[in-house]
Amino acid sequence: MTPELVVFWLLSVLTVASAVMVVSTPHVVHAALWLVVTLGAVAGCFLVLTAEFVAWVQVLIYVGAVVVLLLFALMLTRSPASTTGATSRNRPVAAFAGFSTFGVLAVVLTSGFRGIVLDLDSQPDQLGGAAPPERIGDTRSVGEAIFTHWVLAFEVLSVILLAALIGAIVVSGRVRDRDRQEAAAGGGS
Amino acid sequence: MSETPATERAADLRAVTVGIGDGAAGFGHERGGGVDLATQDMVLNIGPQHPATHGVLRLRLTLDGERIVTCEPIVGYMHRGVEKLFEVRDYRQIIVLANRHDWLSAFGNELGVVMAVERMLGMEVPVRAIWIRTLLAELNRVLNHLMFMGSYPIELGAITPIFYAFRERETIQQVMEEVSGGRMHYMFNRVGGLKEDLPAGWLGRTSAAVAAVRSRLPQIEDLVFGNEIFRARTVGVGVLSPELIHAYGVSGPIARASGVDLDLRRDDPYLAYQELLDDGVLRIVTRSAGDCFARFDVLLEQVKVSLDVADACLTRLHELPQGPVNVRLPKILKAPEGSTYAWTENPLGINGYYLVSRGEKTPWRLKLRTASFNNISVLPQLLEGRVVADMVAILGSMFFVVGDVDK
Amino acid sequence: MNYPSVHLAAEPSLDAFGTDNGWVIALKALLVFVFLVVFTLFNIWFERRVVARMQHRIGPNVNGPFGLLQSLADGVKLALKEDIIPKSADKVVYVVAPALSVIPAFIAWAVIPLGPVVTIPFTDIRTPLQLTDLPVGVLYILAVTSIGVYGIVLAGWSSGSTYALLGSLRSSAQVISYEVAMGLSFVTVFMYAGTMSMSGIVEAQAQNVWFILPLLPSFVIYAISMVGETNRAPFDLAEAEGELVGGFHTEYSSLKFALFFLAEYINLVTVSALAATLFLGGWRAPYPLSLWDGANEGYWPVLWFVGKCLAFIFFFIWLRGTLPRMRYDQFMKLGWKVLIPVSLVWIFGVSIVRVIQNEGGVDQQTLLIIAGVIVALLLASAFIPEKKPADEPAEPAGDFDAFAGGYPVPPMPGQRLPDPVVTVPADASQDQPRSDARDLDAPTNEEQSRG
Repeated sequence: MTPELVVFWLLSVLTVASAVMVVSTPHVVHAALWLVVTLGAVAGCFLVLTAEFVAWVQVLIYVGAVVVLLLFALMLTRSPASTTGATSRNRPVAAFAGFSTFGVLAVVLTSGFRGIVLDLDSQPDQLGGAAPPERIGDTRSVGEAIFTHWVLAFEVLSVILLAALIGAIVVSGRVRDRDRQEAAAGGGS
Repeated sequence: MSETPATERAADLRAVTVGIGDGAAGFGHERGGGVDLATQDMVLNIGPQHPATHGVLRLRLTLDGERIVTCEPIVGYMHRGVEKLFEVRDYRQIIVLANRHDWLSAFGNELGVVMAVERMLGMEVPVRAIWIRTLLAELNRVLNHLMFMGSYPIELGAITPIFYAFRERETIQQVMEEVSGGRMHYMFNRVGGLKEDLPAGWLGRTSAAVAAVRSRLPQIEDLVFGNEIFRARTVGVGVLSPELIHAYGVSGPIARASGVDLDLRRDDPYLAYQELLDDGVLRIVTRSAGDCFARFDVLLEQVKVSLDVADACLTRLHELPQGPVNVRLPKILKAPEGSTYAWTENPLGINGYYLVSRGEKTPWRLKLRTASFNNISVLPQLLEGRVVADMVAILGSMFFVVGDVDK
Repeated sequence: MNYPSVHLAAEPSLDAFGTDNGWVIALKALLVFVFLVVFTLFNIWFERRVVARMQHRIGPNVNGPFGLLQSLADGVKLALKEDIIPKSADKVVYVVAPALSVIPAFIAWAVIPLGPVVTIPFTDIRTPLQLTDLPVGVLYILAVTSIGVYGIVLAGWSSGSTYALLGSLRSSAQVISYEVAMGLSFVTVFMYAGTMSMSGIVEAQAQNVWFILPLLPSFVIYAISMVGETNRAPFDLAEAEGELVGGFHTEYSSLKFALFFLAEYINLVTVSALAATLFLGGWRAPYPLSLWDGANEGYWPVLWFVGKCLAFIFFFIWLRGTLPRMRYDQFMKLGWKVLIPVSLVWIFGVSIVRVIQNEGGVDQQTLLIIAGVIVALLLASAFIPEKKPADEPAEPAGDFDAFAGGYPVPPMPGQRLPDPVVTVPADASQDQPRSDARDLDAPTNEEQSRG
């Protein structure tokens, strides 16, 4: 076993363990913090797989922004210290949904990528005489992959995100309208 | 046995008081979009020990996020029962108590008391004393306003202007200290005049101090007034309508910034103000916007006017012949039976003393009407619906002294 | 962007990294750590002296030469203070938060280039003056500093205090918003440099001009957002002492507070170093000095680099000494409605220019003029006052209860005092009140008439 493999396994165990903590801890903010550990460990896995760009983007976006926003929302809404909020009666259903998603993803990924080996030591093509050796997982290769092979998926994702953005604006606007109406009604009575 | 319930209660307490639930626990206020998106209001205590409150004013704010839902000023942490104490002090001793409630305008406070007593006694004050009193009252006004011109930017986060303001304060405070011996509580007024005459050469030094302050005032002006962020923080923020001012009895620079043109120096002239007004030296500064910026602007203009008035007083004092500055008083000073109300335009607003005497050497009742109390009372009207950052801007622009609120 | 075909001798490229042996790495890491701590002590003194000078004061001048040891003394004092953990705090998070704040601040420096390839004295080992470099070095710094936000957010939340919570709420929103603007301002640098590695960007500026010249709008946006990112005045909303007492660190004391302090000053240096590296040519000597051949050799570049950082730090201090604090909503408006849109359009413009240049089309001058006009228009549009929201309908004047709030208040405009309620029996209502008044007044009147 190479050291890289050992690190990878350790990170994987950390990812899974902290993911379990995310869903099992009764404390909402602690759950969010465990989520940080999970996402950070996933970024570590990416690093071990030499996907530096993806790894740091993972940290930047998920750890640095998404979970911070999550914490922001948690703090703004109900008392975050209350332990009652996070428990749910739908645990079995949630467990079923989680495991089936995991199963589907695992099957898809293994069948899709089985047998593909990336040779990290070879230096595939030299773009021009003095170009730096292209590395697997660096910005250039990721960019090329996204804008050649995966361009449709990329565009679809963009549209979905745009739709979510507009949806968020609409939802928040509607709440404000209703508040105003309520205020007017409450003041009039 | 008795341990267990206590620890349980502590545990319960912890569960509800951590984080945003702090103080909001049990408040029961929920707003926002329905049950799932409900946010809890939280209660924030500004003060009694908070850098923005200059002492021990306490504001109990209910916040929805950063927005203030309700505001309740809680006063009285510095209540010293001064009105009751007045009743067991003779008229000479009262002055020392009376100059303390608004510690930034001690001279103006003394003035009201001695004027009330003089009026009851029907006493004529020597003309020289009148002019010296006017001069010192205006210098005291400059000191007071400079204090707020320095402290207000600090509340908005600018840390430098206060040092500029304090340099000017120091210049004037030196001449005040030279004449009275005090830097804050001058105790220079006496019933019937002043404690003693001016030191030799003091008039010249005061002229120099006034000129120095006037020449350096543009520095503060440039530092604060031209600032884009300062304007953004103050223009249109905390607009006080003339109706609210009438309803709450707000007075002083705050009222004049909203266009309520009331200044006792002109409307019920005392000391030498009538003459200064006729000479055109004393101008009443008003603004119509009524926002924080206008209030601050009035302060700056008043400093300039007060410096002009001080100069006019100095010229006049140069011309006046030497003469007495006080009246010889009997050993036991008794105000005749009756009552009077003496009000003056203190730097912060109307400062009034209602004196009721039963012919004894102490007053039967001396009611104190202070400017800051009324000015602070209007706060809830201004704060509701604003954000916390505006709270500081508005609170600072109400120019209050906690001692003046709590008496 | 074409890669230079010949590497300058002293110029570290990505290949120069990853070849150091163990003790060299350890030595470099230690030196970076020591440099940061000492530089922080210096910066605290520097800030106090400069602000003091701006305020007609002297500042610390007693301990050590020029008072330089003042911050050390303060640090020792801070360490000896009592460490308080509030009863209502979430203890684990409360203790972890300062570490979460300070560790990312240190490790961000792993990729900051302090100088060229040098020979370690007394050995013949040659190594770049940079701990390591990554192909995505700038992204690494962004990612690591974004972890530092957790320190602030969690500190505020775990303290169990409303001031701290408000501070951390403000801070989390602030840092996220300004990270977007900051990241966008880097994009044009990447386009010009053709790389995201820190050493690569320095090298690209050696081939070209400093990026501050062609990319001035990016630099301005970065300069604004770096102040927002570090929670410094006039954007120090998270610890606004006039409003939130101390903000997120209100409840902290002793070493934990010292760690926050340390993190703030290291972040200050980090963003300054980043600005120097991305826009001011990194460790390369500025113009008149660069005429001297030896200016970019050996250990001299460290001096230039520190000098550039100090210039930025002076800028930070100057801002603090001059400007009042912005209001939270104005600050967010500046971020989202001015900086980010302007960045996006600027990136768009720069990419068009780059494409046309690469295709070998129109000359650069016309393009720059067109781009300048567009940017000017955009900046002008940012200052057009927004449509004011319609005034909320005035509260209808309801029944007025003077004692509703627990203490008497006067009637508001539009409100009217209710008619006085008569509590005396109907038959006595004619005479009773008047006689009461007479009773009250009687002694005074009598005494007055006697006197």
